[in-house]
Amino acid sequence: MALKEIKCSSCGHVNPAGTQLCQSCGKLINEDYDKKKIKDVMRYDGSAVRSKVRSQTLYDKIWNFFTSIRNGVIIIALISIAAAIGTIFPQEYFIPVGADPEQHYQEHYGTLGYLYYQLGLHNLYSSWWFLILNGLLALSIIAASIDRGVPLFKTLYKQHVKKHDSFFKRQRLYSIQETTIEDDKVSSIVSKLKKMRYKVRTDGENYMFEKGRFSRWGPYINHSGLILILFGSMLRFFPGLYIDEIIYVSEGETVAIPTTENEFYIENNRFIVENYDQEEHDVFSDALMNAVVTQNFQTDVSIYRNLNQNVVGSRPDLEKVDDYSIQVNHPYRFDGYEIFQSSFDSSQLRSMTFFLEDADGEQVGDPFVVDLRTPDETYNITDDIVIDMRAYSPDFLEIADNGTLVSQTPVPRNPAFVFEVNEQGEDPERSFIRIMGSTPITDNNEYNIRFLEAEDQVASVLTLKKDLTMPFFAVGFVIFLFGLFIGSYINHRRIWIKNDTAFKLAAHTNKNYFGLKKELNKVLESEDIEQVEDKFVIEQTKKDK
Amino acid sequence: MKKGTRKVVRITTLVLITALIGVTLYFNLSSDTQIVEVGDDYIDFELETLDGDVVKVSDLLENQGVILNFWGTWCKPCREEMPDLNDLYNEFDREVEVIAVNVRESNQQINQFLSSLPEEMDFTIALDRERDVTRAYNIGPMPTTIAINQDGVVIKKQETQLSREDIVAFIEAAQE
Repeated sequence: MALKEIKCSSCGHVNPAGTQLCQSCGKLINEDYDKKKIKDVMRYDGSAVRSKVRSQTLYDKIWNFFTSIRNGVIIIALISIAAAIGTIFPQEYFIPVGADPEQHYQEHYGTLGYLYYQLGLHNLYSSWWFLILNGLLALSIIAASIDRGVPLFKTLYKQHVKKHDSFFKRQRLYSIQETTIEDDKVSSIVSKLKKMRYKVRTDGENYMFEKGRFSRWGPYINHSGLILILFGSMLRFFPGLYIDEIIYVSEGETVAIPTTENEFYIENNRFIVENYDQEEHDVFSDALMNAVVTQNFQTDVSIYRNLNQNVVGSRPDLEKVDDYSIQVNHPYRFDGYEIFQSSFDSSQLRSMTFFLEDADGEQVGDPFVVDLRTPDETYNITDDIVIDMRAYSPDFLEIADNGTLVSQTPVPRNPAFVFEVNEQGEDPERSFIRIMGSTPITDNNEYNIRFLEAEDQVASVLTLKKDLTMPFFAVGFVIFLFGLFIGSYINHRRIWIKNDTAFKLAAHTNKNYFGLKKELNKVLESEDIEQVEDKFVIEQTKKDK
Repeated sequence: MKKGTRKVVRITTLVLITALIGVTLYFNLSSDTQIVEVGDDYIDFELETLDGDVVKVSDLLENQGVILNFWGTWCKPCREEMPDLNDLYNEFDREVEVIAVNVRESNQQINQFLSSLPEEMDFTIALDRERDVTRAYNIGPMPTTIAINQDGVVIKKQETQLSREDIVAFIEAAQE
């Protein structure tokens, strides 16, 4: 169903369907338009905003839903509320590595924490619904921009220089004289406005001056920036473009670097924590007296490339690529990746040292060290005494019916052993050893195995990062700020002059009428022409009275 | 804008954005759940065995189906099901190969456990020290048992302790 073109009742100009203000004389065609948009009916110079005309098909209805500023604001509000909720408790990636999230939230934040976890709010920013909301925001921005950008384009690039007499009276700033003014005065005004960087178009006795038109595109430019940012955040979900992984590597260990398909390996040669020395820094000695202040966290690593990447699990054939000392804020960079120092873990045990004691309480032979990950099965104490490790459990739980030790987990947290002391010519003596306790298994043991010391297993926690989406965010923000700048600080000013039967002048700007008035009055004053009147000021004065 | 152009622009925008949201959601949801499920193709791997040999799934699949059993000595159901698994493995004349993939433990721990069993385990015990295979298959709880048929397709999967009936079902599944 085609909408009819509209003939202006005042001047007879034929306007396209949906027009709000007559394109020639500026008279209101749609009475309601003025009531709704009291502030500035001239936004699109009254030309039709498509979505406001009529919705027909389903597509149109969906489209119109997203072009609505109100709906756009609702989407933004929903995103803001959701984003705020995501900050009530830490997101899952901020809770300690290896902690069970369900337990962690319940333990630290009680019932609310439990709910938070159950509702999936611990991974809010990558939840499907948050993602969809952002997609809808993108749609809203694009739809609203097209819907308003097209009429704006028409408005700005198809302007008539010649305006109907009544148009002048309708503008906020106007100056209407009884008679015409001399031609040289007009040309003087023209040249003065030109100096103020106005562009001039003429049509007989009609003049139109315009500057700062580009600023009208400000909102569209900053929205393009936003779209680019949303696009960048979308790309983060695409495989390989954004990586944020944890590498847990114990001292002396070599592990595959995640997401490299076992192409790269990293070895932790040494992890260092250096604290500030109280003696060395006179000025800070008081502060350092009571607290340990760390100067440096550092992991010395070697990076390897795997030359045997065939099948999962196949033994890697490593070739050293590089050595590096990773410090806080000094990541190791390779192949688009960055490896940062994140934290360390010394909660596990690496080894335990024992020594053998005879019945008189004298130490026999040298102490022996049991590696808790890959323990040896025999330890030579003297020429005729050997200790066999009969059983070992890294995280002792109980002794099984068949006499073996049962472990709760494979992590050496609570080790327990059954040692057998074999002395030549004597019966073997067995005892069960665990942290804080030693129980003889065989009767009348002559020897005692004593715990000497334990060494912690220090593991460095590194984060692996790769972010190819950053340029989108950077460029997006620059474009956004540029759009914001030109939209905020540059004014689109237009001045119309008609000098046929009488001198008429009107002026319009999208913002800062005060500045325009000042600029214009300076010109008019120098030509001895009556200054412009400001309808807004007149109405205000009327109201005040 | 002409009416035709307008329609094209609107529909293109709507379809494009919907498609992008869809793709993003797909990537988002699929990245968390890359678990080998029933019906998926198996992932080939090669691991050292407790005996010092190397076992490769694709080599075994040339002749027979394969059952993978991910286990650890500290996991009680794993310990309990192992003798039955061995029993039935032999009862079915080793028509299906069984690989018990130990996750990350030392030989000492494995040998200690095996020595506590009344009989010797006849199937292959593979050592996944770096958890490469466990990660590739995205194994959650243990024990997890997977049956792969000769076509290389995962036919059956169970994440709890196996009863004798379960083991028979797995052996039969791997022969499909």
